[in-house]
Amino acid sequence: MKGGGAKAVEKQHASGKLTARERIDYLFDPGTFTEFDLFAKHLGRDYGLDKAEVPADGVVTGYGKINGRETFVYSEDFTVIAGTFGEMHGRKVCKTVDLALKMGKPVIGINDSGGARVTEEMGALSTYGQLFFRHVRSSGCIPQIALIMGPVAGGQAYSPALMDFIFMVEKSSYMFIAGPPLVKAVVFEEIDEANLGGPKIHATISGVSDLTVRDDRACLDTTKELLSYLPLNCNEKPPYVETGDSPDRLAEDMIDIIPADPKKLYDVHKVIKRIVDNGQFFEIKPEYARNLVVGFARMNGHVVGIVANNPLVMAGALDVKCSQKAARFIRFCNAFNVPLINLQDVPAFLIGSKSEREGIIRHGSKMLYAYAEATVPKLTVVLRKAYAGGYLAMCSKDLGADFLFELPTGEICLMGPEGAVNILFRKEIAASDDPEGTRAEKNKEFFDKFVNPTYSAGLQHVDDIIDPRRIRPTLVRALEVSLNKFDQLPPKKYGNMPI
Amino acid sequence: MAEEMTAPMIGKIIKVHVSVGSHVDEDEPVVTLEAMKTEMPLVSPINGVVKEVRVQPGQLVEADDVLAVIE
Repeated sequence: MKGGGAKAVEKQHASGKLTARERIDYLFDPGTFTEFDLFAKHLGRDYGLDKAEVPADGVVTGYGKINGRETFVYSEDFTVIAGTFGEMHGRKVCKTVDLALKMGKPVIGINDSGGARVTEEMGALSTYGQLFFRHVRSSGCIPQIALIMGPVAGGQAYSPALMDFIFMVEKSSYMFIAGPPLVKAVVFEEIDEANLGGPKIHATISGVSDLTVRDDRACLDTTKELLSYLPLNCNEKPPYVETGDSPDRLAEDMIDIIPADPKKLYDVHKVIKRIVDNGQFFEIKPEYARNLVVGFARMNGHVVGIVANNPLVMAGALDVKCSQKAARFIRFCNAFNVPLINLQDVPAFLIGSKSEREGIIRHGSKMLYAYAEATVPKLTVVLRKAYAGGYLAMCSKDLGADFLFELPTGEICLMGPEGAVNILFRKEIAASDDPEGTRAEKNKEFFDKFVNPTYSAGLQHVDDIIDPRRIRPTLVRALEVSLNKFDQLPPKKYGNMPI
Repeated sequence: MAEEMTAPMIGKIIKVHVSVGSHVDEDEPVVTLEAMKTEMPLVSPINGVVKEVRVQPGQLVEADDVLAVIE
């Protein structure tokens, strides 16, 4: 029970980390953790490992209750030969995922390992493969959460990548498929661990990580908070909680937050905070593709997934990165019965040669695919701009929104007045004595006729034009009437999503 | 330490709020970029002094172009 012994534990603490068992104690309700395979013996036969004592083979496995709800865990023990992944270590981890799937309970993987145990060769490699296979087969059945609380190097990095969420601890964690020495030897690049695969890199640039947390305790607290929004498996609804926030609460200052001038910016977080219960919003990937915001919240106690453009960053335009971020979140919500709330203020997909070369057509289509595929309740509010493909990609009624509401500041249209007027009245403007005056006049005419919310509402693209102060009450009513929505995809093996 | 401010996306500079040598606070607008039908104030990442301004109003910029250097 002491892991790798007092000296190794002291070293673990000195590096700011809790031990594998301390993490488990902190995560589970007191007295509920039940361990299995404590006595599993390692299978190393070479290089003297056959004579070595490897407590629990470097990983603690079991189940317990987190806020009263059963959850499986495997927690790698860095104090035992650096938590290396040997064959029995891997078998224990695989068994944990197998049990979690069979019992329909989430699995949490606490990663803190030096990587594959080289002396066990194929025993380690093959078990990696078996673990990947299990993550994939369990995907969409049970939530799988990876906590990176130390190193995760080499092939093992693909285990978290195949799970649903990845949290990384500041300073003590990193993930890469090859560490600095190998990188230097093979591609001659000199780089340290933090810059190769530290939390900052993965939270802001690669998008591998979903959240950076301050230390071990914050990581475990954040995990408990995430679990509070998730069902135990795909056959359950997410947990309802009384929040004490009135569904009829109005946001008096919403008119000041969303500027009427479409060229002015605002932070959509302010809108989200005012419409969800008690302003509590659990944001996923807050530092990656910040032009789009995703996360979990509650509305009148019911869990919802929020997808919102953020005009503050890149005018809220949809680019390659944010399309991927949104599509992955939408698909998670759909798999686990979390209704979607979509807040639109989108000027368009990002245009230009850079965006085209990055493959905006291929990646942008992921959002269209994810929304069209989703059968959970889908409720959309057009806060302001809703232009062209961006309007469809943020879930218009055509992509399956059950209800769509528009604020008086909304602008739903195929093309903005400037672009449209240039095409429609090019000759007239050129022939005019006052081209700029004619242009302005045609702009206004076009705006009043086609961009005005009453035009799209008149054609049933919008269910109602609402007062900005009433976004919350309107959404709560629409959500509650949608909770038992029935929708089904045609029978198929699976769709061919543009991945 | 000098911080380079880069364009987040392709667009047109419509206003330069500072000049070389002037002091800027963190989050104070340095230039305004017009793109995707929106005017975006691009703010200083740090408290500091403007060392270089590499753009002028009306100039077109590409994503990642350096707009100004703050020290």
